[in-house]
Amino acid sequence: MLDAAISGLGHVFAFYNFLFLFIGVFMGIVFGALPGLTATMGLALLVPFTFTMSPAGGLIMLAGIYVGAMYGDSIPAILINTPGTPAAIATTFDGFPLSQKGMAQHGLVAAAVASSFGSLVANIVLATSAPPLAEASLKFGPPEYFWLGIFGLTIIATLSSGFIFKGLLGGAFGLILSTVGMAPLGGDVRLTFGYPELQAGIELIVALIGFFCLPEILSSIIGQRRQSYSSQKVTPKLGVIGEVIVSLLKKPILMIRSSAIGTIIGFAPGAGGNIASMVSYNEAIRWDKNPKDFGKGTIKGVAASEAANSAMAPGSLIPLLTLGIPGSPPAAVILGALMLHGMKPGPELFSAYADVTFSFIMALLVAAFLVTVVGTFGSFIFARIINIPARLLAPAIVFMTVLGSYSIRNNMLDVWIMFTFGVIGYASNKLKFHPAPIVLGLILGPFVEEGLVQSMLAGKAAGGILKYMIFRPISAVLIAMCIMSALWPIYASWRARRVKDSPRVKE
Amino acid sequence: MLNADRIIGFFSLAFGGVIFAVTRDLSQLGGVFVNYVLIAIFFLAAIMIVKGFTKPERLRFFDSMVERNNILIGLIILFIYLFFMPKVGFLPASYIFYACFNIYLAEDRWTTKNIIQSVAISAIVVTFFFLIFHFFLAVPLPIGSWFE
Repeated sequence: MLDAAISGLGHVFAFYNFLFLFIGVFMGIVFGALPGLTATMGLALLVPFTFTMSPAGGLIMLAGIYVGAMYGDSIPAILINTPGTPAAIATTFDGFPLSQKGMAQHGLVAAAVASSFGSLVANIVLATSAPPLAEASLKFGPPEYFWLGIFGLTIIATLSSGFIFKGLLGGAFGLILSTVGMAPLGGDVRLTFGYPELQAGIELIVALIGFFCLPEILSSIIGQRRQSYSSQKVTPKLGVIGEVIVSLLKKPILMIRSSAIGTIIGFAPGAGGNIASMVSYNEAIRWDKNPKDFGKGTIKGVAASEAANSAMAPGSLIPLLTLGIPGSPPAAVILGALMLHGMKPGPELFSAYADVTFSFIMALLVAAFLVTVVGTFGSFIFARIINIPARLLAPAIVFMTVLGSYSIRNNMLDVWIMFTFGVIGYASNKLKFHPAPIVLGLILGPFVEEGLVQSMLAGKAAGGILKYMIFRPISAVLIAMCIMSALWPIYASWRARRVKDSPRVKE
Repeated sequence: MLNADRIIGFFSLAFGGVIFAVTRDLSQLGGVFVNYVLIAIFFLAAIMIVKGFTKPERLRFFDSMVERNNILIGLIILFIYLFFMPKVGFLPASYIFYACFNIYLAEDRWTTKNIIQSVAISAIVVTFFFLIFHFFLAVPLPIGSWFE
């Protein structure tokens, strides 16, 4: 493992790969900073660029985008009280009051340093715990994979806003969409409606661009005819950087606790960065000697939120790399990128593709350091991107969605599928029928179907399908995890409500 | 105000019905998963319809007529772009789409300055991405059936 890690580090520091990483971090920060653009969209749009790169080069660039975006979302949260992504909600509680006090630079530097620290802690966990988990996954048979798929589907409980049956219905639509093309067992060609291009199924990236990117542009820019975003004027001072870093170094427990919360929540599939940052912010208030500082503009609040939501990102990659279950929407896009390069998540990633996998993990680590440098010194320049008039931004994004969808398989049908999913995604958002469960069903469908059909065949031969599927040690653990994961959102929302109802947040 | 639950419920029933109709000739192995999911869709659709009649969630689809018109025009521009791209080719279609979309989203649409600015930005951005995708990434972008 150590050899692979050192070799991975060598790949990261190769000239072109390091350049790709730097570009990725920069672009990730840009995507995170622009409200309406997310890490998921940034990754999905830029995956086509990695086509002709080597697998390591492509994944290194994606690592940069992911880590960069996790920091970038704090910039508008601090400057204009608008989180770049939902994960930066808690950052606004103290970030914006800091800006109002003329201390925006303090907030931006604190966010960059805390993001890097959170990412660093979670990456260490990823690098050390992922291989043993991957080895354990070798003991999995069809029933275990089936229950794993079901475990992944329990994320729907978190993704559903409001009425849970809407989320379940969305998940079922996604499962049906996943059956388009050739059946994994039996060889039937299903739901292609005469289009031979569909025999390979619906391309995941096309669905992600359609369901997430186009509806956002339609509703936030085209529908509202927004002309521009405003930004706050700040006068950067070099001394502030040292002042903030020293001040955060004096709070090691706050930083470690927030990073640990983010990593653990990231590991639980479906519990996103918004929950991580809210829980971490709550814990920061609870354990601080001066809880009254929070909500009035303190870098402790910004650091608690940003360390947690940045730690969530590598945390969500642990189940992805080892078991093939994406713990978050960006992880789902990374799954797509892995598959495009012919790599299947699981033990093979740590044996046959160890070189590439550890390059990716090391890239996440190095990107965390790059974020500190780029984020600290460049945050004011990035913030000005928000001033780009929306009329220039929207056509560029729509143009890239078309180009990105076409380039996946070089056919127009994918572009039309993206357009159709975009319209469906917009309409379903308007009906408060969030498309995230549909995409989750689409991702996990083949996984669940293969596990189910293989288990049925093997179960029949073993003398009882139910017995074969339930009464196996790992299956029993997974069934218990399914139950716990399904109940987790209820607990998390209860915790989040507690933070919201706290008098300091209301202020 | 729209009854969101009833719309989702009836749409799901119709969707499930179509899928049911076109998957009856599948083999047992190829159809078992589809059938289980269809049962779930019909069951959940029924719940949504019942909720739509008993405790409906009423929503306004568009906040205003202006929003509706903006979305429809935006989608029509995109539809025309996608429709004509395979016929006239990637580059001409993209230049026109990008410039038109820029002009449409601008406040001062038909001023000479805005038109020149939009055409210039369109030329730069589209050419830049064309060069990257066509030459660097070797993606065979549509040439245009009218010119073949």
